[in-house]
Parts: sequence; C-alpha cells; structure tokens
Amino acid sequence: MIRNPTPTVWAIIVVLAIAAALAPMWLGPYGVKFATRIISLGILVLSLDLLIGVTGLVSFGHAAFYGLGAYAVWFVSPKDDSADLLKALALAIGLAGGAAAIIGAFAVRTRGFYFIMVTLAASQMLYALFHDTRIAGGSDGASIAVKPDLVIAGVTLIDFYNRNSIYWFGLAALALCYLLTLWLAQTPFGRALQGVRQNETRMSALGFETYWFKLTVFVIAGAMAGLGGLVFACIDGFVPPEALGWKQSGLAIMMVVLGGTGTLHGPIFGAIIYAMLEEALKSSGIVGATIADHWAIPMGLVLIAVVLGAPKGVAGLLPRRAAQKLTPSTDEPRIVATTQRLSVENVGRRFGGLVAVDGVTLSFEPNKVHAVIGPNGAGKTTFTNLLSGALPVSAGRIALDDEDITALSAAAKARRGIGRSFQRTNVFGDFTVGENCAVAAQARRPGVLRFGADRLREAEAVGFALDATGLRERAQIRAGDLSHGEQRQLEIAMLIASGAKILILDEPLAGTGPEETRRVMDLLRALTLDHTIIIIEHDMDAVFSAADTISVLVGGRLIARGAPDDIRRDAAVREAYLGNFGMERAP
Amino acid sequence: MELALIQIFNGVQYGLLIFLAASGLTLVFGILGVINLAHGSFYMLGAYLALTLTSLTGDIFLATLLGAPIAVAFGAAIEFLFVRHLYKRDHLQQVLLTFALILIFNETQRILWGSYPHSVPAPSYLSGSISLTGALSYPVYRLALTGICLALAMAMMFVITRTKIGALIRAGESNREMVELLGFDSRWLYRLVFASGTALAAAAGMLAAPVESVYPGVGERVLIISFVVVVIGGIGSIRGAFLGALAIGIADALGKVFLPGFASMMIYALMAAVLAIRPGGLFGRAA
Repeated sequence: MIRNPTPTVWAIIVVLAIAAALAPMWLGPYGVKFATRIISLGILVLSLDLLIGVTGLVSFGHAAFYGLGAYAVWFVSPKDDSADLLKALALAIGLAGGAAAIIGAFAVRTRGFYFIMVTLAASQMLYALFHDTRIAGGSDGASIAVKPDLVIAGVTLIDFYNRNSIYWFGLAALALCYLLTLWLAQTPFGRALQGVRQNETRMSALGFETYWFKLTVFVIAGAMAGLGGLVFACIDGFVPPEALGWKQSGLAIMMVVLGGTGTLHGPIFGAIIYAMLEEALKSSGIVGATIADHWAIPMGLVLIAVVLGAPKGVAGLLPRRAAQKLTPSTDEPRIVATTQRLSVENVGRRFGGLVAVDGVTLSFEPNKVHAVIGPNGAGKTTFTNLLSGALPVSAGRIALDDEDITALSAAAKARRGIGRSFQRTNVFGDFTVGENCAVAAQARRPGVLRFGADRLREAEAVGFALDATGLRERAQIRAGDLSHGEQRQLEIAMLIASGAKILILDEPLAGTGPEETRRVMDLLRALTLDHTIIIIEHDMDAVFSAADTISVLVGGRLIARGAPDDIRRDAAVREAYLGNFGMERAP
Repeated sequence: MELALIQIFNGVQYGLLIFLAASGLTLVFGILGVINLAHGSFYMLGAYLALTLTSLTGDIFLATLLGAPIAVAFGAAIEFLFVRHLYKRDHLQQVLLTFALILIFNETQRILWGSYPHSVPAPSYLSGSISLTGALSYPVYRLALTGICLALAMAMMFVITRTKIGALIRAGESNREMVELLGFDSRWLYRLVFASGTALAAAAGMLAAPVESVYPGVGERVLIISFVVVVIGGIGSIRGAFLGALAIGIADALGKVFLPGFASMMIYALMAAVLAIRPGGLFGRAA
C-alpha cells in the first residue's frame, strides 16, 4: 500500500523542491531549459506510475497523451500571437484526457501482454496520424511561434516568453500533481487500484467493477501526462511527432523503473537521474569525446545493470513507511442477526457435453453451517461457482428469500451479501491484514469515485470483521507474512468486512494443520450468530463434527441431504464413498 | 485495378517478410514468456550483414547463407548474456532490459556502419522484370523473394509440426513446466528458440535488403508491425502470425496507394477490429 513518505524521504523531497524553486538564480538559460524538460518528464512519469506502480497497468503508449498535450499548445496558438494559457491548459488536459478515455475504453479490457500491445498500437496510431498527415506540420513537427501567456483584465500575470516563468509554472504543476497522486493513492479509490494491481480477479469477486476503476485512473493519468506535454511544448517551442511515439513511452517506463515503481516520488527521481546521466554521458568534458559520441552504449549498460541488480529502483534504497495504526476496537457486543435464505431449484450446468451439475435443488437454512461434500469431480466447485455467480447456470433458478437472483453477476450477488472464498488462498499480500479488510469493506459501496468520507463506517466494518475472526492483534501485519491458517482466517474476515452474510467457503481447511483446523471450525460455528455458512470441504472429521446439514454431490447430482447422523447412515452415500473411494474413517 | 494487383503482390511479399520476423517474436513470447523489444534489431542486423556480405561475396543469396549462422550465434549469445535472466521477471523488466539493448545495438550499428542509408544490389541474374499480363510487369527479385520467404515459412511449419524439436516447442508453448518435468533441458530449448527467432528476423532483413534500402532505424518499423501481427494472430501461434502478417502486408500495401497518409493507421485499426471480435487474437487463447 502506498503511504506518505518517511521523514527522511520527505526531507529529501522538500530540500529538492526548495533547491529547484531557487535554481533559476544560478542556472543559465540552457540550465533552466534543461531543468524544465526534466520537470515535464517528471509529470509524465509520475502519471505513468499511477498506472504502472499503483494499478499495475503497464502502458507502453503513455507518451501519446504527453504528445497530445504538447500539440494542444500548437493547436490553440495563433500564427503570430500568443495563446491564452488557460485555453492551452484546458485543451491540453481535455485532449489528452479525452483521448485516454477513448483508448482506455478498449485497452483496459485487456491484461498483461495484450494491454502493453494495445496501448502501444494506439499510441503508434496517433503517431502515424501526426507523422504521416499534415495536420500539425507532419514529420517536420510543429513550431509554436509565440508562447502562451495569461492576461486578465489587461494585466499580464504569466508570460511564457520568459523562460523562468515556464520553469516555475512547471515546477508548481509537478508539485501539485505529486501531492494529488499521493493523496489519491491513499483514498478508497487508490486502495482499490492497488487491489487491482495485486489481484484483479479477487477485486472483481469482492464486487468491484474493476473496468471502471482502471478506465478512471487511465483518464486521470492521461490528462496529467497532457499537462506534462504542455510544459514541454512551452519550453521547447517545438513539438516533433516523436514526442508521442513508442520510444518516448519506453523512455518514460525506463525512468519509472529506474526510480522505483509504486512510490510516486521514485519515478521523479528516476527522471532527474536519467536526464542528468544522459547529459553527463553526452558531454565530452566529463567522460571524454569517445564515450560522449557513443553515450547510448554506457547508458544501455547502466539500465541493464539496474534491471538485473536493483529491480526496485532508486527509491528501493530509501526507507519506506510501515503500516498505519488502525482505529481501536469498538468492543461492542456482537449483534445477533438472521440472514436471508439462499435456495436453488433444479440448478444445472453443462460444459459442452459434460454435465457438471445436474438438477440440484437445495435450500440453505439461515444461521447454520452447511457442508457440501462429494468425491473428486462431483461438481462441488462448479456448484459453488453457480451459487456465487462466478459461472452462469445452464438451467434452474437461484433465489434469495423470494427474490430470483439467478441472472445476477458475481459482483451483484456479492452486494446482496453472498460472499465466497476461493480454494487457493487469495489475500492481497502487499496490504496489511487491516487494509485487506478495509478494501473488502469498501466493496459494500464499490463505486469508482470514492475519495473520502465513510471512513467511520468502514472502520466499524473492519473492526467487526477483525474481532469476529480473532485477527485484531494481527491487524498491522502484512498479509503476505501471515501463516497459512491465518491467511484462511483473513479470507473469512474479508468476506465479513465486505458485508457478506452468506459465506461460501471453498475448502477453508485445505492445507491447515489440526490445531488450525479446530480454530477455523470453532470460528465458523461462532459466526453462525449472524451468518450462514456454506462450506465445501474434504476434511470429513471436521465436516461431520461441525456442520448442521450435509449435502452429498456425486456426478453432479444431489444424492443425499440431511443432518450428519442421517448422512452417516445413508446407503447411497456409503456406496458412493466406500464403494469408489474409501474414506480415512467410515462416517 | 492493375495498380491494386501489383500492390497485392507487394503486400503478400511484405507480409511474408513480416511473418519471418513475427514468427520469431511470437515463439519467444509464447515459449520463453519474454517480450523482446530488441527483436527489430535482429532484422536490422540482417540488413547490415547483407550490406557487408554482399559487397564481399557479390551475391545476396550467398550473403544470406553466410549471414544465417552469424545471426544464430548472435542470438544465442544475447540469450546467454541477457535474456535468460528475464524468464522469471515481470513484463516491465523485460521491456526495460530489451529497450536498453536497442540503445546499445543502434549505437553499435552507427559505429560499424555509419548513419547514411545504403542500397544492396539484387543479383544481376534476377534484375529484370517479367511481364504478367500485357501492361503489367513485376520485378523478378521480388518474385524470387516471395518464393524464398514462402519456402522458409513452409520449412519452419514443417519443423514445428512434424519433427521432435517441433513437438517440444509446441509442448513448451502450451505448458513450460511440463516440458521440464518430462526431463528435457529447457535451457537448451530456450536458447534454440531464441537463436532461431533471431535468425528468422535476420533472414528477413537480409533478403529484404535489395528491395528496401538499408538504414539505421530499419528494424524499428518491423518491430512494431511484428507486435501487431503477434497480437492479431494470437500469442505463440505460428498459423495466426502467418495469416496476420499476410493481412497486414496487404492492408499496408493497398493503404499506401488508396489511402495515402493513413496506411499505418489502417494496420492498427485492423488490429483493434480483430481484438474487438477475438480478444485473444485469431488463434490465441483468451487474453
């Protein structure tokens, strides 16, 4: 989880910012121009880190928005007069953000390699548009004759004719963008983005429409990159189509990784270090004429060394802040509440010719522990997927009390209080236990644009979930560092925090030791105070000692249903198990 | 109409060249799991090898035969030095390291061959044009090039579908761990795949040298187009790459004549259209 920088890092940032603000006093005209370029790149890479480091979207076309922002300045500039800075700003941010919305609408549907390629192709398409046609100077690039200024009521407030004012404008924009992204990353919205980075499938299962989160952050990052492009166009007075080409995008990725992804300040350091290094390697006074002439080779070697030797980048060498304290326990007595009744009627699921679940009719009494058992391949996991909405049914009807919920998606069912855990442990390893529960609690109202508010109710839900599962003392620990059994407990805590009242647990005991098994089963029994539990489980001792009802699936059909004692005596069950498989101990 | 026919010929020929480059890329990604941005540099290597070796031997085909083992050795060396460290790394680091390789390769090219464009002569015995219909003629070298590319493509498909190595490659594409569990040394397989991919891209660069001039950024256009082809065809699919490359080649050639200025955009639009209908590409598993 991204947190505010440590005091050490803050000190570095503040000293750098003050030095940068005073820099024009001793930098020559060339120095100011060079520093302004770094600033424009800083805004670009900061916005890219919002995609790569925060959300896990490796965009290989981010420079497209930077270039569009730069071209926007040319578009609003009259041939021989200065443009209005506000107009330039509006167009740069609007054009870049608008393009990001269109490209993002397609791109964020894809993942991994395809996302990289779709963003690359989209930016190349824009590159081809500006390079091959004459809309803005074609391959020669676009020159901005007179730079923008800001005149209000006849008084010139900002005039970009003066280099220093572009510099300070850019610096202020960078500082603002940094504070904005740092805040954004720590809002519920930013937390959800980081959840998407760690495990998008899990986020969807929690009920987040990850598409809209990804699209929103794509647009924000695109608009921000457009602002960077505006600063670039204003300082150089010239926009080549290469500004939105794939090499510029690659360069930006390089700076992000060099500085350290997911730290926000790191990529800005990366931009500074990269630009200074390139400048140093290019100057024959520092490295000698031979190297200066072929600077790309040592530069390439440095980058390779970074990838192989310090994959966490420069920021990885600086201290990072530990988890925040959570609000203390409310210590209120547990509320006893009945849940709704989940029932299925003639539910079936076919995969091609294979019938995985065949006409199952079941009703799950509220506030009980229900077990679903059956030999391997009996269709248990498919059945769970049908209940939770992860798979659509081929036939039949699913109802919550009297309401038909057959057609609802997993996300919609999660909002109705039907939560499921997965066979494989599936917590967000980089979040703390508390943050895991918080992101789950956020899923109760999984809207995209949630930047504040509701913290109190969320804290309450988190506290409730932690208390209910006995994880209160572990709240500050990174979930990735928990024992296996504790991670399974955390999954249940997350379901509870998300507001789930009907918990569908797929093998909650898989891989736990005997001590942990008892703890989890005691936990499940205790949870029936205000929850209904449905477990799919192989551990027969645990199932027969803790479940209120047991349903037996064989070959996709329900062959028996009843209390543990009835199931123990059931002939069909005996045959299904003992005849084919043989259990550790006869039930 | 005749112009269209000529452009279709050109498109098929260009598509086959792109296929040679893209097939290496799709195999390297499908089997090694590595995004190799430096793949275009191997095409460039081929182009410059053709330049030097043709001036030494006087014949582009002789140059290609000599250049192929050089490209294989080069690819194997790059795999050993850099790429093998990327197998367990995430895409970001692969992009970064291979991007850094481009910097190094481009600069090395500039040191060795300079910044000016060069041309490579087609062999004298293939220099003319033959008339196809009354008013229509086509350069012989381009026809020969089409034939050679087609032969290479078929040879590669034969290796992949009919030989033991091909079976290993296909197995590696669908399940890397399994190949290792079965006791095959995947390091050897990976190096072979990477070196073959390098040689295919270089072969395309060498054979294309007499048709297009040899210049510093020659590989980069090929790189981007190859990625588009890989995405259209579906990652790891040779068949998909073949169809994708032909489609791109023809679309590009026709676009250049009938929609000048928008030809490159058409290619990306084609890709967007394919992805909209089949998110995993023509023959890919779903994304």
